[in-house]
Amino acid sequence: MAAALRGRAGALAFFAVAAAVPLAVRDQFFLDTLILILLWGALSAAWNVAGGYAGQVSLGHSAFFGIGAYSAALLSARYGQSPWIGMLIGMVLSVGAGLIIGYLSNRLRGPYFALSTIAFSQVLLIVASRWRGFTAGSEGIPVPFRPGFATLGLGHVAWAYLALALAALFYGIQVYLERSRVGYQLAGVREDEDAAEALGIPSRRLKVIAVTASAALTSVCGTLWAQYVGFVDPFYVFSVDLSIRFALNAIIGGLGTALGPWLGSILITALETYLRATFSGMKTGFAGIYLVIYGVALILVVRFVPEGLAGVAARLRARWTRAHA
Amino acid sequence: MLTLERVSKHFGGLTAVREVSLEVRAGDLLGIIGPNGAGKTTLFNVIAGYYRPDGGRVLLDGRDVAGQPPHAICRLGLTRTFQIVKPFGNLSVGDNVMIGALNRLRSVRAARVEAERVIETCGLTAQAGAPAKTLPVGLRKRLEVARALATRPRLLLLDEVMAGLNPAELAGIIELIRRLHADGLTLIVIEHIMAAMMRLAQRIVVLHHGETIAEGTPAEITRDRRVVDAYLGEEFVLAQA
Ligand SMILES: Nc1ncnc2c1ncn2[C@@H]1O[C@H](COP(=O)(O)OP(=O)(O)OP(=O)(O)O)[C@@H](O)[C@H]1O
Ligand SMILES: [Mg+2]
Repeated sequence: MAAALRGRAGALAFFAVAAAVPLAVRDQFFLDTLILILLWGALSAAWNVAGGYAGQVSLGHSAFFGIGAYSAALLSARYGQSPWIGMLIGMVLSVGAGLIIGYLSNRLRGPYFALSTIAFSQVLLIVASRWRGFTAGSEGIPVPFRPGFATLGLGHVAWAYLALALAALFYGIQVYLERSRVGYQLAGVREDEDAAEALGIPSRRLKVIAVTASAALTSVCGTLWAQYVGFVDPFYVFSVDLSIRFALNAIIGGLGTALGPWLGSILITALETYLRATFSGMKTGFAGIYLVIYGVALILVVRFVPEGLAGVAARLRARWTRAHA
Repeated sequence: MLTLERVSKHFGGLTAVREVSLEVRAGDLLGIIGPNGAGKTTLFNVIAGYYRPDGGRVLLDGRDVAGQPPHAICRLGLTRTFQIVKPFGNLSVGDNVMIGALNRLRSVRAARVEAERVIETCGLTAQAGAPAKTLPVGLRKRLEVARALATRPRLLLLDEVMAGLNPAELAGIIELIRRLHADGLTLIVIEHIMAAMMRLAQRIVVLHHGETIAEGTPAEITRDRRVVDAYLGEEFVLAQA
């Protein structure tokens, strides 16, 4: 119980600091980094619902991200509608797509499932980049900036708090998955599906629900990201790189832990920002640098802290407690 | 409570279970024995919904449940354990059992209380906080039973929960099964340990090459010529005498 509380204390500290930063710092670069850390963390939290808590490792979650991004961008660019409506439409579409992926998770195991999710996201990429009449094809869509909350035309400070609210909400969803009946049942499914079934747990239905919920949450982030960045490029939003990023933040932070996605996000986002500043001259060679970061980070984590950064924090805490007992 | 009518299950050309019929009434403690590969586990898999039978009917309280998924059958009150134990390895023993208790309970808190009770009944209290994967084999078998019990079954299927136990553990689990039966639970028990079976079961079914070759009281079974030839062997009969 005490350990659980201290685990939450870490999260509380993180969110408190994140809330305080925009009050103290007005530097745009700094705020931008904070917003991205919160958003990428939320995306990994959304991924974690399927990949961590339900054990359905997807490498195609950019599909849902792209659906969310495109829904809102197209709606506001073409029809002048509020991106909030676009967010809702994106969620509905992602629930539909999530049901398909969830169904696949009951047909295919492990690597086969992961591969099928990649294929799914690449199909969407082809549609988005070729369907010129509707999506503007590979040119992408600029998202019009209209000031106001209803149109999500916000300043950096407002964006920081919006991203924080999203992060807190997603954190709460994960905590629910750790404490609730359905959360424990999902843990059973993740550990051993046959055993879970023997105990009266409808494993297939729970997996579909988890994957679908994960898809809808990812879509919400996609919408917000597109509105924040102001441009939707099909080759970026549906990329495999992005899917890997969602998974990697969560794995590095600690698979199936509630704060893990943001711990991973801090590390990866900070590294990326640093490298971008350092190598800003090298336009052409830059694209590959992500893969280098991901690769190195993943190797280090798997080799030295397979339980992720959240696990390291727990270990340090335990050592500290013992030393001061 | 449970009726099997000429149930069959094939794997390719192999017939693992051939037209097995049996009847289990409320309060029974039925034993199933037979040599390795006789089809005992396959029969459990068919009853519990893991395999759809290729022929015959599985009636639970008069309702044909063939083709229903295992979780639905569990909710109807039939729970099985696995011969090759399947603990939720990374979860604590307490959480393992609590997840079983969630079958009948909506609240996690209530399920915890229930789990504590079951864990005590099964003598796992000292290990309640440990990750299930750290348990030695004997205790894993007991966890398997505890988790199944927590679902509050009316009919419990135990698949070789005594295999690999030392004499003290064996005595403990036999005592536990006796107590559960005395409290009104209906059980089907697969076991190789004949001595234990003799003491526990009211009735024994003998499977051989997927077929029922004998059925009767333990005393009748040990006198049955075919059972002795197929399974028990002369030494056993001599030892009994
Ligand atoms: N999933 C499967 N696919 C193919 N063959 C199988 C499968 N499961 C069991 N068998 C075969 O069916 C036969 C019966 O197996 P089963 O596991 O039911 O035997 P058992 O009586 O439980 O044996 P044991 O005492 O060794 O546990 C065996 O020949 C086995 O190899
Ligand atoms: Mg067997």
